[in-house]
Amino acid sequence: MIRIALTMLRTDRAKCTAMILAVTFSVFLMQNQCAILASLYRMMTAQIDDVTDAPLWVMEPDTRCFEQAKPVKDGTLERVRSRSGVAWAVPLLKIDTMARSDSGLLCTVTVMGVDEASMVGLPSRFRIGQPEAIRPAGTCAVDPGGYAQLFPGEPVHFPRRIRILDESLVLTGMTEASAPFTGFPILHCSRVTALRLNKAENRTATFIIGDFTPGANRAAVCESITAATGLSAMDRAGFGEMARRFYNSQGVPRLFWITIAIGLLTGTAITAQTFSMFVREHTTQLAVCRVMGVTRARIIAMVLCQGLFVLSIGCAFGTGLTAITTHAAASEPFLRGIVLPPQVAAGTCAALAAITIAAVTIMARRVALMDPAIVFRS
Amino acid sequence: MNPPAVHCHQIHRHFGNGDTRVHVLRGIDFTAASGQITFLAGPSGCGKTTLISVIAGLLQPSSGSVSLFGRDLASMPPDDAVRLRRKDIGFVFQQYHLIPALSVAENVAVPLLAASMKRRDALEQASAILDKLGLGDRLHQPPARLSGGQQQRVALARALVHQPRLVICDEPTAALDHETGHRVMELLAASAVHPDRAVLVVSHDNRIFHFADAIAHMDDGIITHIDHPNATTTA
Ligand SMILES: Nc1ncnc2c1ncn2[C@@H]1O[C@H](COP(=O)(O)OP(=O)(O)O)[C@@H](O)[C@H]1O
Ligand SMILES: [Mg+2]
Repeated sequence: MIRIALTMLRTDRAKCTAMILAVTFSVFLMQNQCAILASLYRMMTAQIDDVTDAPLWVMEPDTRCFEQAKPVKDGTLERVRSRSGVAWAVPLLKIDTMARSDSGLLCTVTVMGVDEASMVGLPSRFRIGQPEAIRPAGTCAVDPGGYAQLFPGEPVHFPRRIRILDESLVLTGMTEASAPFTGFPILHCSRVTALRLNKAENRTATFIIGDFTPGANRAAVCESITAATGLSAMDRAGFGEMARRFYNSQGVPRLFWITIAIGLLTGTAITAQTFSMFVREHTTQLAVCRVMGVTRARIIAMVLCQGLFVLSIGCAFGTGLTAITTHAAASEPFLRGIVLPPQVAAGTCAALAAITIAAVTIMARRVALMDPAIVFRS
Repeated sequence: MNPPAVHCHQIHRHFGNGDTRVHVLRGIDFTAASGQITFLAGPSGCGKTTLISVIAGLLQPSSGSVSLFGRDLASMPPDDAVRLRRKDIGFVFQQYHLIPALSVAENVAVPLLAASMKRRDALEQASAILDKLGLGDRLHQPPARLSGGQQQRVALARALVHQPRLVICDEPTAALDHETGHRVMELLAASAVHPDRAVLVVSHDNRIFHFADAIAHMDDGIITHIDHPNATTTA
């Protein structure tokens, strides 16, 4: 009887197609927006999360996120190091500047200068080359999307030259740095190299990063750093949380949520409306089945399977469409951070499915409870 | 002696309440014997369809009792009533009520599929009976390709495919021209009449009354009298 139910559905081409399209576009719209939003959230903390070897972050109180960070005053490093509960601490210098590639292309870049003794602050993996290769002054590594922006269409090979201000830098490798919120190339180098590009005289570190001594109360350590230096101190999760709060307060995520809600509402409304029309038109046929001894439970199962059929095909099409478009977007170096996380793909389908199945169940119950004697009257 | 296929005792049925209350069945006593074709005749609106809905267990009587093959419908658990309908009753409707999305053979197989028979076996049995009714070459067509008479024959095949003990037909020829209707009735008479099987036909088409073993005339919710046309001709 399930097969019969699906045949009924497939034969009503117009409605079946309309419902599948409604689900497809709703899923696509939601997934597309959710994917961008989720990717934005990931990028808001990408460079913070990349620093896996330093859980402690100290910064100016004005700093709200990684991208808009004010450098700390010199001399702070020693005061942080001297706090009890701090195992070690090193400077991290971030500079936003302009780079020119050897082909003459000009590009805004983010330069990250790590402590040359410890090399703490680098992404945990290199795609090409190794951390040692950027220890010498005048060398740096670039992230994959950054390479594509600096040298569009060119094959990957090292070493290569770029110019920043009046300095000439040699690219010696490629990191696995996460795609940044700004979309710009991320260059990692040692702090000596970065200092040559630094224009702020007495501020030679943007963050102090370090670790807590084992067993230390992190919150208490952070408080004592703040008390001693007047700087903000927090662990990695706390900094990420602050960055997200900052971007949330800028209002962008709200716009995405509105579009996602519209996608959900129109998708479920059109699907439920069309499905209800479909069921109404097939009520007599289902009544005939009831008269011929099909049980109520079986009728409900038939209608539910019709709903599930539409949903699963629509969700598959929609997810496929999102996968294709996000993949296409991510191949654009500037948009390399846009991905479709599997949780987002599953979550949007689940949200749509939950509401639609609820509506379908109500309709299925209604037809199952109809008076089958209507077959004698129509 | 076997109990009668259908036995109704003092059936009343009304619809609605207060001012809009209509008393459609007003004390029906009625019996349909196995091995016979029993007609239920009467003017439009007299309650024939309501009566067969009650007999088929699709509508509860307001009072009175129905028994099929000696089993009282009211005292049966609902699941048993559905099972009885599935196994022992076949239906033919005035509007055929074939499922347009299904092929002719699939339509006929519905009662078997409803009883959870394997699809292949069900289609095989459906094809066999369609063959018998002269539709063996139409198995895979959609019903819409068939003429009215052919569609009603498909409906007849569907009513008979599971070899029910009671076949209920509501105005089976009303949508057909005289000749086609006649052909359908001949097929019904030939295939349905069996010592253990009763056929109940609602009709006010007196041109097919000669197929009846008994005709119960109904008017305004009661059975007025019962004719036995074939008995009179032999007497
Ligand atoms: N569900 C119902 N609600 C209200 N009135 C009904 C209902 N079913 C039948 N009736 C009324 O019962 C009367 C008999 O109907 P029906 O049994 O269809 O007659 P017949 O089949 O003899 O033409 C009609 O007047 C009809 O309006
Ligand atoms: Mg009628």
